[in-house]
Amino acid sequence: MAAYIAHYLVMVGIYTILATSLNLLVGYSGIFSLAHAAIYGIGAYASALAALKLGLGFWGGLVVAAMVGALAAALVAIPSLRVAGDYYIVASFGLQVVILTVFINWTSFTNGHAGLPGIPRPYVLGLVIDDPFKYVVLSLALAALTYLICLRLTGSAFGRTLRAVREDEIAAAATGKNVVAVKITITTISSALGALAGSLYAHYITYINPTSFTLDESIFITSLVILGGTERLAGPFVGALILLAVPEALKFLAIPDTVAAPMRQILYGALLILFMFVRPEGILGRPRPRSVA
Amino acid sequence: MLKRLALFLSLVALAAPLAAQQPPIKIGAILPLTGSGASYGVWMKGGTEMAAEEINAAGGIGGRKLEVIYEDHAADASKAVNAMRRLVEVEKIPFTLTSYSAPTLAIQPIGAQNKVVMMNGGGQSDNLANKDYLYNNIPVVSNEVGVLCDWLTKEKKFKAAVMIVANDEAGRNSAKSFRDRFGAGGGRVLAEEQIALDGNDFRAQLAKLKAHGGDLLFISSYGRNVAIVADQARELGITIPMAATSWVQIPEVMKSKGAQGLLTTRLPFNPESAFARKFKERYKTDAGFFAVQYYSGTRIFAAAAEAAIKKAGGKLDGEGVKNAIESIKSFDTISGNLVFQPNHAAVMDIEVGVLKDGKVDVEKVIKAAP
Amino acid sequence: MDLVLQLLATGLVVGSLYALCAIGWGLIYGTTLHFHVAHGAVFALAAYYAYVAQKLLHLPLILAVLVAILGAAASGLLIDLLLYQQLERRGAFRTSIFIASLGLLILLENVIAIVFTPDPMRMDIGALNTAVIIGPVFLTYLHILTVVLALVGYAALMVFLKRSRWGQAIRAVSSAPEMARTVGIDLDRVHLLTYAVGSALAAPAGILVAMDVGAEPFRGTRFVLLASVGVIMGGIGSIPGAMLGGVFLGLLENLGIWKLPSEWQSAISFGVFLVFIVLRPRGFFGRTIHGAEI
Repeated sequence: MAAYIAHYLVMVGIYTILATSLNLLVGYSGIFSLAHAAIYGIGAYASALAALKLGLGFWGGLVVAAMVGALAAALVAIPSLRVAGDYYIVASFGLQVVILTVFINWTSFTNGHAGLPGIPRPYVLGLVIDDPFKYVVLSLALAALTYLICLRLTGSAFGRTLRAVREDEIAAAATGKNVVAVKITITTISSALGALAGSLYAHYITYINPTSFTLDESIFITSLVILGGTERLAGPFVGALILLAVPEALKFLAIPDTVAAPMRQILYGALLILFMFVRPEGILGRPRPRSVA
Repeated sequence: MLKRLALFLSLVALAAPLAAQQPPIKIGAILPLTGSGASYGVWMKGGTEMAAEEINAAGGIGGRKLEVIYEDHAADASKAVNAMRRLVEVEKIPFTLTSYSAPTLAIQPIGAQNKVVMMNGGGQSDNLANKDYLYNNIPVVSNEVGVLCDWLTKEKKFKAAVMIVANDEAGRNSAKSFRDRFGAGGGRVLAEEQIALDGNDFRAQLAKLKAHGGDLLFISSYGRNVAIVADQARELGITIPMAATSWVQIPEVMKSKGAQGLLTTRLPFNPESAFARKFKERYKTDAGFFAVQYYSGTRIFAAAAEAAIKKAGGKLDGEGVKNAIESIKSFDTISGNLVFQPNHAAVMDIEVGVLKDGKVDVEKVIKAAP
Repeated sequence: MDLVLQLLATGLVVGSLYALCAIGWGLIYGTTLHFHVAHGAVFALAAYYAYVAQKLLHLPLILAVLVAILGAAASGLLIDLLLYQQLERRGAFRTSIFIASLGLLILLENVIAIVFTPDPMRMDIGALNTAVIIGPVFLTYLHILTVVLALVGYAALMVFLKRSRWGQAIRAVSSAPEMARTVGIDLDRVHLLTYAVGSALAAPAGILVAMDVGAEPFRGTRFVLLASVGVIMGGIGSIPGAMLGGVFLGLLENLGIWKLPSEWQSAISFGVFLVFIVLRPRGFFGRTIHGAEI
């Protein structure tokens, strides 16, 4: 039982990092990206390969993941410089599919569907983090670090510029803000953090393959942001706490596994609809003035 | 009153350890219960269940009941990994049955690290050999491919093949083996196209292969998609014969129009055996090779566990089971004597034949190399 | 050369399916501005309506198909009536509608998966499976029917939009909603009609795929995604553009692998799309949408 809870908390930590970093785009910048799972995957593969092929440990892998993630940010940024709103959503769909196809088919690098097993566990000050309880500390610590970084970022002058760009890009440009630089900066930070989550995941499960980084995963991360409350930095954490608990709670009911998986998804879909009726701004969100149609 | 209560309680305290059942022995079974390989899952789970029930009816293992925890990987190695971690960290199993190549390779490091024995009765990638704590009671695919290619090149005189390959560990591994062995027999592989296990439209890949010509189409895939490949190949006007190894022999493929005439290998399985009859009666569907495999795998565990418990004076753990398997080495199963080779895999007789009217017409039997 | 022709033919068939989804989705999006991803669920439902009608109610194939088309139209209409319009009445933002649509897509697909299992449900299509050989190209009657139905659907839609009163009402709402309301057009009614028509167009696509490889619960997501890509490439607000976009995607997917390895199929199609959208966001024929283009 305790092991279950520890595992749950590790995943809460990982998903908090993912959702918080996505919130920088969705909530704060108005960039509705559905490609975040691809970034997550890029970080996971970068870190795993750094550990398996270059012999770097977890910390080395983490740094490599963040760097590669930052570079991959260009893929997320470029369409955002040309299109926004629904157009951007579709473009990010496309990006997600392309990157996933690379994971599946660049087999000499990623080993395709067979995945990468045997990823080493992290060492902290000589102590190996090899059980969920120790991993909880690592995961939540990195989640807290992510939160602090984002807090600093959004509270600063840069944060204000970000909101100005989100509200009205043309006006922001007219007042001299370098919109291109702002978008590139925020996508870089968001992607570096998302990739970091990937590294954490890879070294925890010790095995990765493309099925962990699909469009469904992107949608899940996005809903953590929306249901927790965009524009409130703690929103994603609350979203993760709740949405990750739902499937675990279901496990205690004796449902055959083949029915349990779609049942979880049904509950999840129903939750999304319910929230849009009852509290579209999310649990922690500030109720926005409703526009009457 | 108090005295009587005290007497009663002390009697209960004495009786409790005697009355208490020994906890059951839990093992895992990570199988393809859903998805494109669900047909294998029916066999694998059925075989395991039947073995467990027989073992328990005969008194269990060392007096303890055997309990199998079934997990579905649906051909997705991450699901297998999650299942394995749960089984190892929460259920603390000493042993698990496993299936499919990629999922087994993915869980192997976890098993090795935690000293949990894994028994694979279905996956055939060559990479499954020589792995710590992993045992395969099925031959690796290169054995079958070797026999198949010998027959195809020497007796059937095929010279130029095209391949359609599942884009996973098993598919790619078998394709590599085919390239080597077909080439060694004097043949050439002209082209290769990849497909997804869960796909259902392979016309583009088949059209590209058709353009290369050749006199044989080798299907390096398994599961439901093979039936679709065969049907769509014929639909596209591909008339050359097709070949595949024994893992394609699931009901959907045996019945498919396009697959009739398939040149294939076969691992020993007697559809008239007592086991097959009992299986059919119980599960209302014909038994297959994999049903026997997992029945045997479970019984092998039972034998090894009994030996381990005797040796350790009542305790049972993965290391004990592993040592027992290593020292017993040769197991008596319902399909004959099974010997684990030094590379942790098995060898079996391999038959070659043609798929006709839903059955394989066997032409030759090649005895297992020791 | 044979190979190119075969791939061209397969591309046209697949493109016809994408086109049917695209013109339906494009009609809905252009008129209501709802990012209706639940269109994928309607696509999947249509296939199951046809399967149930044929296999469980024992209706002849043609009747089963008609029942399915009507069922799909009704489903789409109900989604707007019971979900989107209710949300709009509560002042929901467009993002909320998108999320609700996503939730509904996930919910419906998984309900289907529980009721019918995720395995493909095959239908009896009898003679439609017969091979048709045109030169070096191998097809079946079903494939030819697919292309024909796409053309018929497109023509019917265009005629409907240009000639009928309701069609003109839809066009009015699509191009200038406030103006349309001012001249007395009931926006809600027009939306319902749009959903019915758009969903009815998705139905043949879902049914044809089911007739080819079986009905599956989760296939709709991929089709609605491709439909939205087709609509954007064709240009939002343009039905001919959506038609062209859908066909273009089908051709791209199949011809793209003529020289490149087939497993990269998705990457090629979406890669081209990404380059396209960065260079020409407006698409082939679209009008610029304020706030969507920069």
